[in-house]
Amino acid sequence: MDQNSYHKYFSTILSIAALLAGWELLALAVNNPALPGPVQSLDTFINEVPRGLWQHFLISTYRVFTSIVLSLVLALPIGMLLGREQHLDRFAAPVIYLVYPIPKIVFLPVLATLLSYGDISKITLITLVVFFQILVPIRDASRNINAALINSVKSLGAVRFDVYKHVVWPAVLPEMLTSLRIASGTAIAILFFSETISSQEGLGYYLLDAWSRFAYDEMFAGIIAMGLLGLVIYFILDYLEHLICPWKFV
Amino acid sequence: MNSLNSDNNLVIVRGLSVSYFQQKKEVPALSEVSFAIPRGSTCALIGPSGCGKSTLLYVLSGLMRPSGGSVMVGGEPPTAPRRSTALILQDYGLLPWKKVAENVGLGLEIRGIKREQRLDRVKRVLQEVGLWELRNRYPSQLSGGQRQRVGIARALAQEPDLLLMDEPFSSLDALTREMLQEQLLQIWKDKRITIIMVTHSIDEAVYLGQQIIVLAGNPGRVLEIVNNPGVGNEGYRDTPEFHQLSTMLRSKLSH
Repeated sequence: MDQNSYHKYFSTILSIAALLAGWELLALAVNNPALPGPVQSLDTFINEVPRGLWQHFLISTYRVFTSIVLSLVLALPIGMLLGREQHLDRFAAPVIYLVYPIPKIVFLPVLATLLSYGDISKITLITLVVFFQILVPIRDASRNINAALINSVKSLGAVRFDVYKHVVWPAVLPEMLTSLRIASGTAIAILFFSETISSQEGLGYYLLDAWSRFAYDEMFAGIIAMGLLGLVIYFILDYLEHLICPWKFV
Repeated sequence: MNSLNSDNNLVIVRGLSVSYFQQKKEVPALSEVSFAIPRGSTCALIGPSGCGKSTLLYVLSGLMRPSGGSVMVGGEPPTAPRRSTALILQDYGLLPWKKVAENVGLGLEIRGIKREQRLDRVKRVLQEVGLWELRNRYPSQLSGGQRQRVGIARALAQEPDLLLMDEPFSSLDALTREMLQEQLLQIWKDKRITIIMVTHSIDEAVYLGQQIIVLAGNPGRVLEIVNNPGVGNEGYRDTPEFHQLSTMLRSKLSH
């Protein structure tokens, strides 16, 4: 292991330790069963994982990942196009600005009725939210590309496809990853909400179920699982950034 | 106007007017511009900011259409980007996400030239500008002067007969600028590429332009075309002709 990644691991461990220490102090100060400390919560977490928590975690992970990938596959080409082709954007922008601010959660009853209470309604709901959250930044990044770069590439004989391939696509990648980081937090929040309303499985259901039984340590085991889900997404995005944006790290 | 019809001219501009639309209002950028540039010569376009120098370069490169008059490059109007015209813009137009060698080979890649042939040519031009060792760097890892040389290498990789440059050395420090001006002169002497450059610097115009086209704004028109046969002579910068011409241009531009 080289010096750099050693430092990185060290600071990761340090920051998690600081979080746990803060949690412990808060739990001691509050001194209420509703806020168990990290030791007790982790203990319950480890016991709960083989007893069903693992399945809930996998189902939630599947729902979040599918939604994010689906949103990306839709938002990336559309965002790139709307940023560059003004005549399309003039048509699409009013629709985007009308639909974007609506809290999509209000559609859950409709989706649940139309698409059943299973995975599809939840994935559709999360996708509806995340799609706009990544579409708008990608479109803006695509629109704000330095005109000199485009002209330079055109002067080399580039047709429209070449401009998209060599300029627009790589130019929107960093913005895409930033928007995915923000959207992953939203995705988990929407996931939680949809799973508490109409579900028998998933971390949201697990959490609400523990809450209704006043099993606070189990509730916090569920919260830890949600935190881990976020962490997994964060690491994947970090890895992706190094993989697809190597010029940002020189 | 005899010179405008000669076969020896690579670029012929006659009565060129260009205007563009800004908030539905027509803004004239160039009006009734005429000049001719012989094959294998150099030309400097100089004038105050906003006199349409860059617009003129865009029209010559085929990226912008004239509104009136005619432009011929190599006997044809430059409607689509012409294969043997290379354009280097002010900030060199290097793609931050491509390594030096990929940037230099981009034009060849777009033309569908095969990988091996491409790499050969990239290697040759990078060695020519002395940057082969830096082929795996990204533009952000280069100095301003090195970036400009990558821009020149990318242009040379296209094997152009016409090189258009927009204020090529304006953002460089004085030492680097003189070194690159020297290198450009050397390339011109070796290959006899026709070079048209836009510049703000009187010194640069006199040092590099066999023809100096003085533009006045606004809209841009030709104020005067000055012949400058001393370009390329050894130690030209230190001669009395150089200084006389510089003084003359300075007085014209300060009107």
